[in-house]
Amino acid sequence: MKNSFNLKAGMLLTAAFGVILVAGSAGSLAFADEALPEGFKKGELAPEPAADMIEAGKRVYFTKCVWCHGVDGAGDGPGADRLWPRPRNFNQGTFKIRRTASGELPLFDAKKPIPGQNDLFETVTHGLPGSAMPSWEGILTEEQRLQVLSFVTTQLVKDRKFTDKQSEAQTVLQLDDLKPVPATEESVKKGAELVKEKKCVECHGTEGRGDGNAFNLKDDWGFSIQPADWHKCWNFRGSRQDPYNVKNIFRTFSTGINGTPMPSFADNSTVEERWHIANFVNSLCEREADGTPLAIDPLADKPKINFVVSSGVVEGEIPADPEHELWKNRARRYVAMGGQITHKPRNFVNRIDDIWVKSLYNDKHVVFMFQWDDRTKSVATEKLPWAPTEVNIDVKEQDPKTGEEGSIAAHQNNYTVYNDAIAMETAVKWKELPAPIKPRYLFGSNEQYPVDIVKWEADGSLRAFEGTGWDKDFAERDTYEENIKILHSEWKDGRWTVIIQRPLGNKKDQDYDEDTFFEMGQYIPTVFFAWDGHNGDAGRKMAVSAFYYTFLEPPTPREAYIYPVVIAFGVVLLEGWVLTRRSNKRKGKTL
Amino acid sequence: MKALMSVGALMGAIGILLLAGMILDIVPSNTVRLVEGYMPMQVLFELTLFVAGFTGLSYMLGTMGMALPRFWQGIAFWCFILLYLKFRVYPPIPFSVRAMYGTVSLIAVFMWVSANEEDWSKFKQPIMNVLDAQSGANKLLRYAYLVLLPILIGGFSYNAMVPKSEEPIELRTVHPAPPASTKVHGKTYTLQTSQNPYRVNLEGKFDQEYSNANIVEQGMGRLMKPNANPWDKDAQGYLKYVREGGEIFFQNCHFCHGDNLNGRGLHAFAFNPIPANFTDPGTIAQLQETFIFWRVAKGGIGLPNEGFPWASVMPPWEQHLTVDEIWKVILFEYWHTGYYPRTWD
Repeated sequence: MKNSFNLKAGMLLTAAFGVILVAGSAGSLAFADEALPEGFKKGELAPEPAADMIEAGKRVYFTKCVWCHGVDGAGDGPGADRLWPRPRNFNQGTFKIRRTASGELPLFDAKKPIPGQNDLFETVTHGLPGSAMPSWEGILTEEQRLQVLSFVTTQLVKDRKFTDKQSEAQTVLQLDDLKPVPATEESVKKGAELVKEKKCVECHGTEGRGDGNAFNLKDDWGFSIQPADWHKCWNFRGSRQDPYNVKNIFRTFSTGINGTPMPSFADNSTVEERWHIANFVNSLCEREADGTPLAIDPLADKPKINFVVSSGVVEGEIPADPEHELWKNRARRYVAMGGQITHKPRNFVNRIDDIWVKSLYNDKHVVFMFQWDDRTKSVATEKLPWAPTEVNIDVKEQDPKTGEEGSIAAHQNNYTVYNDAIAMETAVKWKELPAPIKPRYLFGSNEQYPVDIVKWEADGSLRAFEGTGWDKDFAERDTYEENIKILHSEWKDGRWTVIIQRPLGNKKDQDYDEDTFFEMGQYIPTVFFAWDGHNGDAGRKMAVSAFYYTFLEPPTPREAYIYPVVIAFGVVLLEGWVLTRRSNKRKGKTL
Repeated sequence: MKALMSVGALMGAIGILLLAGMILDIVPSNTVRLVEGYMPMQVLFELTLFVAGFTGLSYMLGTMGMALPRFWQGIAFWCFILLYLKFRVYPPIPFSVRAMYGTVSLIAVFMWVSANEEDWSKFKQPIMNVLDAQSGANKLLRYAYLVLLPILIGGFSYNAMVPKSEEPIELRTVHPAPPASTKVHGKTYTLQTSQNPYRVNLEGKFDQEYSNANIVEQGMGRLMKPNANPWDKDAQGYLKYVREGGEIFFQNCHFCHGDNLNGRGLHAFAFNPIPANFTDPGTIAQLQETFIFWRVAKGGIGLPNEGFPWASVMPPWEQHLTVDEIWKVILFEYWHTGYYPRTWD
């Protein structure tokens, strides 16, 4: 017994010795393995796509993609110059959203359209939210998406080769095998400390609104690029149409974004640390008051929109402090903003794509609180090239050709700085508008049905204008300006908060033909405008919303408590009647 | 017969399971995609399948001796329609429209259960049973109704009276009647007689047959014909102008109308009404080219009175584009969607 034990022990010893020996001889290999950042594993390069796939992909490319990405895939198609961020230049093989280590080519295998194993396929399937790249799912078949990628990776990526074992390697983040750390308060707190320690806040800003000292960042091609705003996760390019999923943040943080200043943090942070940071970043994304994620419209990859901005009633004074309880408890409304691309000068690359609006009213005033993210506080350094009231229809638009003087790409981050601003436009005689008529959406329809515009600017001015048509200069309304007031305006950590008070309007003090009356329980057509001064926004170069409705919530009328009781009592009587009738009928009696 | 019915039953069961999955958010409502433009046909087709499925299901249950009473069949079918409209159809249908469909289908269900005297008495039998309350369960049910009904109705009326803010519904005429002629950049175009000057064959002659033969193919993806690449260096005539139109489209129009011309551009999410979807057969496919010319040139503000409300952001493109550019963009839109413009005759 003892003997055999000794024998076994001896064999074990020899075996162990052998292992050490082997390990020693393969030392260099083991060393290479150890050098892999945590959470990564070596992967295999995918085989070259079949020739017929490439040929078929060309047809897809020249129908759908060429318009932005260009004939040679250099990201210089006809649409490219008016886009920001710009379409990808495929030539260098630099791709942003990957599971592979920093600097490596992304995962692509024309035979494996499997989520998690095919980065480029997922990019085409889900698009890149927050940019002009749409989701091609439901438009192109899976086969077509693989075909076009076969074409792009073999013909348009020119400086690198997806199948070249000499120069390319694949180190793959094992995202599906890594278990996320639950987003507990503690984890989020650790993440908040880590983003400071890892200097994330230097670019992304203390509150993560992308307002750090990174304003002049450029990508590999010299085009302006800006750090992500963590509060708008639906705009994360790598969100894969699943913005509140912490795994996407973990992936981007682990692999970095090739071609941009965003590095990979795989080498200097542990997997656990990365989960904490991802949890923290995810926790910043805008949510409902009760903490649930905002409902995202799958067709637009943006929060769902409700077009009614309802205003709550307040007894007495409306507070000027945004931290006041009345404001904090007030529900806010997401207002989507698009570029004003209908009248010159057009704003193709609006940097403000949403604002949040809250409203309160009392017996005299209605007050609006606007909050929106803006990476820069802009106060005009020079005079506007035109009067703010003027129709600047003859303004020469930027020449769209990149490389030439005055192109959008050359201008980016290099505009004359004007004022940040916000404005609301309401239809003046909204009550009189014949049933289907609204004043024209922008700047009013005509003299008969004008709009009234109240505009706040970062230089501290609050002005009122009258608009009577898109082709008419605005009229200044000095008399109304006396009645409106800025209660609060502050830019902090990448966010503006502006509170504006205006009169409800009444027949005694105001002129119905000129002022918008805000009447309780009515739907008052309202449009919002926003300007980012560092984007060269001024005059009609701005961001615009659609028509929303301001709705002053009426208090619950007393009838709402009385009538239901009366009705319920009536129902009881009715029930009694039906039952008696039925039983009488059955007994053969007639009443 | 039985085999047929069991197929139906299977179909019905699968359908109910799918819908249940969609309601519980296990199955995403876009599993079977509603294809843009064919949605109404698809919905009708699906509902027909369901009706067939339910017929089979009720037959099978009958043969197994578990027949569902007509009363419950009626109610279940009506609930099914309501749930289907709410959870299956995406983008969602507004409540008021669903209420309308609900009323119509309620009437249909009533017509079905009261088709003859016998059916009708079968249908109302359960109601009578509860009223008469001969058994213990029915008695309990009757008391429950006595208490619950007033509470429910009172609650509903309270709910209806509490002030609420729901977006008012606005109806608009999507394709109002065009004028006889339109003046763009100083020249008058008669809509009935004008032609797209770029819809030309290789000889430079107006040739709708030729251009129709070179548009993209219908079907998934809508890809160009293999030998009709507008980006071909040697492309001449129609295809060359398609490319030029596409360049203009991707500098001016795709922001709203989308990279795939489906009305889902970069800025589209912010606007209401949403931009027109050209891949929908209800838009450019059923309009004449000159109608589009007039709409593009004059924009939302140029709409006649029946086109109100003027909520459209569509600008009068004559501000930004020349007449030639407008024609080319239109040419591109028909090419890319694979539709033929309608002719006046």
